[in-house]
Order: sequence, then C-alpha cells, then structure tokens
Amino acid sequence: MRTIEGWVEAPLRTFVDDASPELTLLMTSAGQVIAQHGFARALDVMSAAALGAGIMASSQEIAVLMGWPEFRVLVHQGSARSHFLAQITLPTTRWVGLVVFGADTKLGVVQYFFDRLVEQLATAAPQVTERREVLAADFEHELNASLRSLFGR
Amino acid sequence: MSLVNFTTREITCKIVYYGPGRSGKTTNLHYIYGRVPESRRGRMVSLATQTDRTLFFDFLPLDLGVISGFTTRFQLYTVPGQVYYNATRKLVLQGTDGVVFVADSQARRQDDNLESLQNLQQNLLQQGADVRQFPVVLQYNKQDLPRDLILTTEELDDTLNFRDLKSFPADAIRGTGVFETLRSVSELVLKRLAAGGTVG
Repeated sequence: MRTIEGWVEAPLRTFVDDASPELTLLMTSAGQVIAQHGFARALDVMSAAALGAGIMASSQEIAVLMGWPEFRVLVHQGSARSHFLAQITLPTTRWVGLVVFGADTKLGVVQYFFDRLVEQLATAAPQVTERREVLAADFEHELNASLRSLFGR
Repeated sequence: MSLVNFTTREITCKIVYYGPGRSGKTTNLHYIYGRVPESRRGRMVSLATQTDRTLFFDFLPLDLGVISGFTTRFQLYTVPGQVYYNATRKLVLQGTDGVVFVADSQARRQDDNLESLQNLQQNLLQQGADVRQFPVVLQYNKQDLPRDLILTTEELDDTLNFRDLKSFPADAIRGTGVFETLRSVSELVLKRLAAGGTVG
C-alpha cells in the first residue's frame, strides 16, 4: 500500500481488510494517484488512474448533457473480476476511487465498505492544507541530466 | 495540479499535448515512448478510433529520475484535435500543469492552428487558469516538409506566438525538436513549482 497523504492510510487499510478487493486506487478527478493498494508498478498505477478518471469524467459529462443527477457510482461486471468506480467527496476536494474485485467478495460488500471509507476519509481529512517548500531553485541541471539520460543523449 | 509526496519525496506532474487534428501530438508521444528505456516509462495507452485518430486521449507516464531529492514523474497526455471533440479536450485538460501546443507548419493548416490555440485559451480560462502565467510551449511540427508547403518558424511566431512563448521547430516522426520541447515544458512546470515554493 502506498499513499501520498498519511491520513489516508488508516481508512484505506480498514477498507482493504473489510472489503477484500484485489486492487484499490484513490485518485484526483484529474487522474493523479493519491493512494493505491495491490499494484506492482508505479507507472501502471498511473495508467489505471488516468483511465479511471477518464471513465468517471466522461460519464459525468453524459449525465450533465442529459440533465440527470451525477453518477456517483459506476460498476463494470466482468466474468472473473469486476471494477467499481465511485466519487469521493471530501470537505475541500473531490477524488475518485477505483476498486477491482474478484470472487473473494461481492459488489454489495464493496459498496458498503466503500461508503464507510468515504465517511472515514471525510472525517480524517485536514481542514487546512499544510504548505511546504518543494524544489530547490537550482534544480535545472538535474532536470537536464535526467532528460538527457532518458533520451540517451 | 502537481502532486507532491513529502514522505516518499515524489513529484507527479501532468503535461498535455494540445493542437489541431493531425498536427503530430500522438507522434510526439510515440517518439518519446520509442526512445525512453522501458524501466523509465509505463505502457502507452491510446484510446483511438479504428483509423488511429485519438478518440479520448493518449497517455504515457515517464520517470524523470531524481530532481532536487524528489523522484519526479511526468504524465504526458494528448487530446483529440478535431473541433467536435471539445468536451473530451476539456476533461483531459483538467488539472494539467503544462501544455505543449503542437502546431502544423503547413500554410493551409494555419486557420486550424489559430482555432485550436483560441480553443486552448478558452478551455484554460474556463478552468480558472491564469493564461498569462500558465506554462505553455509551442512546437512547429512538420518542418521537414517541402519549403513551399510550410511556413517558417518566424512566420508561425508572427501569427501564433503573441505571448512570446518558447517555440521549437520539429519533425516529430524523426524526433527533431521532440526532446527540446519536452525539456522546455518540463523546466517551465518545475520552475513554477519551485517559484510557488510551497505545495500542499
């Protein structure tokens, strides 16, 4: 399990223990990974987040076009595995959750414990975001070296 | 918006390649995908039509390595260029940290370039971005075509580069200018992150 924000870890761990999903991914509505459980490669997590956020965003736009209420949950049922996509509304932001589950659990169980996860995240979320310094001013030579090695130049 | 994990010291930024249809946005990503070692990139995801036109987006995650002590990852997206796909362009543009505008250098495509650039500006404004400060670089692609078919970089600058942005001539199929464009937008995005000095 990996999380960007420390306060996400405990609620997510409880969800994983209770709902028994194979993969769980929490992401921003723009597709940036917040937390994940079950993925082996960081770069694959990013692809899953981009696709999950894309599905959610396009479904929301269809709802807007049709004048329907927003879709809060989307479920895609597969023969061996299914996936569950849902909005997570927090005090200051909105995320998306993607849960992949198999025969070890049921949709109803995932839905029930996901709702509890959202409640716990809403309670745990900080009301004010702490701000900290990020990059040194002289990062450019390191960026250039990284890009040169990336492109073999 | 860039995501920063202070515990594991990781930064993730989102860059979108924007521009009119068939200007070479997907070709840029294909070239990058082909040149970068497998350990430094994820799978390239393309949501395309049967004729390989981008339907929703292309996506390529890149691991840039360690910068200022942070493992830095960039997510490269393209948008569909055709005018009627604006709804999906808006979705892909959400939360972006920087944009590469890929213009088609052919003289006959100049109206399409302008329309797409105006569309980018509108969509950024709708998302509340300050377009004067937002990291954007221009790439003038297809500069390898015969001289009588294309505009020079100076001519393209005259009509498209009214904000005096960095611009790069390119031939994305052979890779000319692709690296320089990515380097430039990466630098702008990270400079903005550093200048902001702080992130939540």
